[in-house]
Amino acid sequence: MIEYVQSALLIIAAILIIISAIGLISLGKNTRNIVYARIHIVGIFDIACILAMIAIGQYLLAAIYFILAPFIAHAVANAYWKKEDRENNLDLQNVEVEVDENHPFIHPKEKMQVLESENSEKLKADERFSVTTLEIDEDE
Amino acid sequence: MDILFVSKYIVVIALMIMMLAALRASAYKSTSMGLLGSSVVVNAFAVALLIVGDLYNLGFFRDISLALIFFGFVGTVAFAVVLGGDDE
Repeated sequence: MIEYVQSALLIIAAILIIISAIGLISLGKNTRNIVYARIHIVGIFDIACILAMIAIGQYLLAAIYFILAPFIAHAVANAYWKKEDRENNLDLQNVEVEVDENHPFIHPKEKMQVLESENSEKLKADERFSVTTLEIDEDE
Repeated sequence: MDILFVSKYIVVIALMIMMLAALRASAYKSTSMGLLGSSVVVNAFAVALLIVGDLYNLGFFRDISLALIFFGFVGTVAFAVVLGGDDE
């Protein structure tokens, strides 16, 4: 009986591995953020490997792999995001959006930066107000 | 024929296909893809070694597999830290 369970686990693992192999190479090359999608696919492969390890009775190795696999995925994604993704998509950070000056809620980025800067006139104007710690009792 | 024996062979063949796909993926232009592909190849080889060692009673196959998984992880994370550079 246990042989059938082991065989079922192994065959499920094999199917998942083949699906992830097909997905890994069939994603379009020019799609944006494709590396993150491939890391996601490798996650399926990791789980399939853990299933296979459980099926052949290597529980300790499966547990170690189960703990280590997310760290690998995160390390690769973090490295890509910190370096290549930022360098490749620098133009996305400089997108100029036309904003109406008189819009009640949406303000231009430059205007907000001027308002929030240290030398802003508005911040200086706010220094007129001071905070007091004086306590006033109701009896007085 | 024993169904467990056959299913082990099926997994080994699937792992070989995955290794080929990962090799192809590691040849894409991004450096991170090379890192990810090599990591997948090492892990697939470790699992294939576990299954083949179980089939043919190889010596030390568990230890070699554990070393591959652990040092593959260490190498991948170390290279990823170098690739990511310093925090800004």
